[in-house]
Amino acid sequence: MRTEELIASLTQDLTPVRRAAPPLALLLRWLAVTLPVLAMIVLAMGPRPDLAGVMAQPRFALAELLAGGTAVISAYAAFCAGRPDEPGWKLFLPVAASALWLLELGRQCFILSVQTHGGTLILHPDLMCVPVIALAGFVPAVAMVYLLRRSAMFRSAHACLCGALAAAAAAEAALPLFHAPDTMMTVLVWQMGSVMLFTLLGALGGRALLALRRRVPDPTAT
Amino acid sequence: MAEENPDWQGWMAAAQAGDARAYARLLQDALPWLRRRARARWPGSGAADIEDMVQETLLALHQSRHLYDPARPVAPFLFGILKFRGADIRRRRRRHAGRETAIDDVSETSAALATSGTQDRDADAASMRAALSSLSERDKMVLEMLKLREVSLHDAATETGMSISALKVATFRAVQRLRKALIGDVTDAD
Repeated sequence: MRTEELIASLTQDLTPVRRAAPPLALLLRWLAVTLPVLAMIVLAMGPRPDLAGVMAQPRFALAELLAGGTAVISAYAAFCAGRPDEPGWKLFLPVAASALWLLELGRQCFILSVQTHGGTLILHPDLMCVPVIALAGFVPAVAMVYLLRRSAMFRSAHACLCGALAAAAAAEAALPLFHAPDTMMTVLVWQMGSVMLFTLLGALGGRALLALRRRVPDPTAT
Repeated sequence: MAEENPDWQGWMAAAQAGDARAYARLLQDALPWLRRRARARWPGSGAADIEDMVQETLLALHQSRHLYDPARPVAPFLFGILKFRGADIRRRRRRHAGRETAIDDVSETSAALATSGTQDRDADAASMRAALSSLSERDKMVLEMLKLREVSLHDAATETGMSISALKVATFRAVQRLRKALIGDVTDAD
């Protein structure tokens, strides 16, 4: 088919399309779903008794801020990834945010290990954090796939990876509000390991769901 | 991106609202620009590859025109699509290049090239059957409906439950795959 014929075919019977919301608007919608869900999970699980005290600690507040920041930045990058006119550097913002988060946790682990003479380096199995992060991240992840369904037309693998990281980071930000880990090493290995596992599984699942949706005829598409 | 026609933004916004004339003007006006950009980005690509990249870009633009923000220029949007689709096509070509074997030249006077009266017709029918059988069920259905039975797009959309836009894209891709299957490139499906 010649290109001129293709243009004639594409323009014939053209119907209006509903514009996709911009990345910032999608981010706000995602937060509007994610924040109440996480708040409900914290309330349902019961906030830890010393929550007011640990919230006042700069170490805890900084880790929470970095986890929340990683979630927000990753979600924004996920909504940007599927658009052809968004620059590629935005896709690397979650890498920088999560690296900063990991570095801060590593720094805290190092300082505490010096202060406690290696006491914080003891690793206890924390089997609770894997299902809890998966559970807390499930609704944010589903909301992410739902919001990405119309906007992830390009770079869908990046969009799903960033989206899964956003959901996992949001769940990890909520976890310390109702669950106190034994040591910093437990946080680094079990909790951050769960975040990575959930990110990879979420990215694979999200990509499969988006691909599946594209095969199904869309009654709203034109 | 300074080469963007200032009318493009208005035409694209109108196309989102369903204005076919504005959409046609945009695509026709952007066509030489797209070819130029594709040639500049992939100077080693042949004319056929450049045209494939441009056609894939137009198809992808059609499918993703809801993503365009009318407050932004059109050129970066179009160029972004061209980069993705062009890279896809080049990747596909590289993958297939490793599996292709050049056929040695055969003398024009070779007796092996002689054909009987019905041999060409039989061979054509056989290769068409083979090419058709290599297509997916969806491709076969679309070709049978729109090219053989010549059902209208509206009727085909009602019958299949697909949108008109999706049918157009599916038909274009099915014809491309059939053409590639006929010239022996049966694996070039995306």
